Amino acid sequence: MENKGLFSLLVDNLTQFLQYTGFANATWGHILMIAIGLLFIYLAIKKDWEPLLLVPIGFGIIIGNIPLFPGLSVGVYEEGSVLNILYQGVQQGWYPPLIFLGIGAMTDFSALISNPKLLLIGAAAQFGIFGAYAIALLLGFSPAEAGAIGIIGGADGPTAIFLSSRLAPDLMGAIAVSAYSYMALVPVIQPPIMRLLTNRKERLIKMKPPRAVSQTEKKLFPIIGFLMTAFIVPSGLPLLGMLFFGNLLKESGVTRRLAETARGPLIDVITILIGVTVGCSTQADKFLQLKSVYIFGIGALSFVIATATGVLFVKLINTMLKEGSKINPLIGNAGVSAVPDSARVSNNVGLEYDKSNYLLMHAMGPNVAGVIGSAVAAGILLGFLS
Amino acid sequence: MKRILQIFLFSGLMLAGLSLNAQSQSDMCINEYLVINTSDFEDDYGQHNGWIELFNSSYGTVNIAGCYLTNDPGNLTKYIIPKGDVLTKIKPRQHILFWADNQPFRGTFHINFKLEDSEEILFVASDGRTIIDRIQIRRDLDSNVSFGRFNDGIGTRDGSEGWQIMSRTSPSTNNTGSDVESASTVFQRIDPFGAIMAFTAMSVVFIALILLYVVFKQIGRYNIYKNRQRTEQVHGKDVAAKEEDVSAEIFAAISAAMHLHNMDSESHDIENTILTIARVTKNYSPWSSKIYTLRETPSKK
Repeated sequence: MENKGLFSLLVDNLTQFLQYTGFANATWGHILMIAIGLLFIYLAIKKDWEPLLLVPIGFGIIIGNIPLFPGLSVGVYEEGSVLNILYQGVQQGWYPPLIFLGIGAMTDFSALISNPKLLLIGAAAQFGIFGAYAIALLLGFSPAEAGAIGIIGGADGPTAIFLSSRLAPDLMGAIAVSAYSYMALVPVIQPPIMRLLTNRKERLIKMKPPRAVSQTEKKLFPIIGFLMTAFIVPSGLPLLGMLFFGNLLKESGVTRRLAETARGPLIDVITILIGVTVGCSTQADKFLQLKSVYIFGIGALSFVIATATGVLFVKLINTMLKEGSKINPLIGNAGVSAVPDSARVSNNVGLEYDKSNYLLMHAMGPNVAGVIGSAVAAGILLGFLS
Repeated sequence: MKRILQIFLFSGLMLAGLSLNAQSQSDMCINEYLVINTSDFEDDYGQHNGWIELFNSSYGTVNIAGCYLTNDPGNLTKYIIPKGDVLTKIKPRQHILFWADNQPFRGTFHINFKLEDSEEILFVASDGRTIIDRIQIRRDLDSNVSFGRFNDGIGTRDGSEGWQIMSRTSPSTNNTGSDVESASTVFQRIDPFGAIMAFTAMSVVFIALILLYVVFKQIGRYNIYKNRQRTEQVHGKDVAAKEEDVSAEIFAAISAAMHLHNMDSESHDIENTILTIARVTKNYSPWSSKIYTLRETPSKK
């Protein structure tokens, strides 16, 4: 009798334990999301697509989709859990400005300073954001949600996370994963559009080499750049402030240690945390919705629009420039941000047509202008819609 | 002299700290009041009493513990808001209600005077001297009719502008009501296709970047001009004109060549060595053994 009691207790405990396991709580959604996480890791390791982002995000997706028995205080959405505490940086929006600090500290604005008209290409490419905004509205998203989705077109992961955490926190996971995925896919998405919108003659344009930029100009750029953009769009302050501050650390010449920390250990730590926690936030029940499919679709379109408007805008500018100072439209795509991948794409496509036409330095101009432009656009959306 | 400077700096910091404290309390304002309450909202004791609503107009939490409410300009410290009550920390853009029932022992939010007997209401900072806000009490208000700011936190102190006789009382809530449309809803209504947003936002993006373009174009020109002047002074006009054609790529090439040259001079073939007859022993230790250390981090070639 006693043995039977002991046996049933053992069975009961085992049954209870099994109920806690991931196997008992797994759904097809979990399996699908884990497969997506594995795909991200595969693409990062095997294809070398944005590994610094896709490895943490991919593994984060797997962590976030381990089927959990609710109430164990371990899930990312369970208050007080370790993952939840780390996720606060995403939710409250303080990881993205820190990433921007690092970006500022590693960005050389020389190409932009030497040829400031490249700034305008960075502005033109922001049409992707507002094109996506319009499409999202048509698909029935609210203006706040549409704004958060539209920012995917800025091709700037931290900006997308920052804005979506403010305007549409529920969609943040899908928006962040979409933004980072398309940033990784820039070498695939952009070249066909660039070829489609340019002719051979335009692709062979050789641009004037950039002039040497003095250190004083480099020091002035973050100060003046910050004052001018922040006065116009104060709502973009966290991103713009950190971006230009990081750049001043780099260019001032007297804060080398701080600049090295910002562009090294600090940005690495935040990238790890942002990647893993964003991945974790894509729990199957929150992520696998029709809205997410729409977001991915709109995200792809926003990249297409941004690339196209950037290229077309260069062609428009060229009609006003005299021979010899024309801009190669192949750098128009770089205005979408996605630093430095889109600039590399410009360079690679340019080299396909002329082995001696290196466009990388020229493309870095609109590329970094795109970072400023998308931060300004995010500030505007935040100001209008929050 | 150094000591005087230190004292001066310390005093400055202390003053700055004090002014910061006062500044946060100064974000509070009297937002609405009801003098005669016969059938309006009841307090937590089921009594009908007049009330004063304060509003935190800032976007940060303000602690009003230690501040004062009074109806007597000659006695600014008539009612001290008790310290140690967490409810005195007023969240951003939130309200707090004080019942003017002359029953201070009923709790933090029951003050020691009635509005029926008062001429004005004063809200005083925790220093007991600085009047943060004051409002004259209107005598022409009917029972159960309150007087408040049209928009929370906006309006003059004397009640002449921005204040109104309220169509309904709104203790501890927005005076303008909760039926105000959010920015997102407004955009949905007036701009269903996003055209206005796209046009406005792109204009702002362009304006911001065009301004940067203009400024840096001018700075660049000035820089080129100064460089030319400097070169002219040293080498003459002909050299200066030639130098203008030198691009950053040439500088980069020169820098790279110099860097390589320096590297070459360091990577010499003959190492500095010391010949000695003394035996150099390298004692084995598992701590220094390469066999036991971690493998190198794999890197993709």
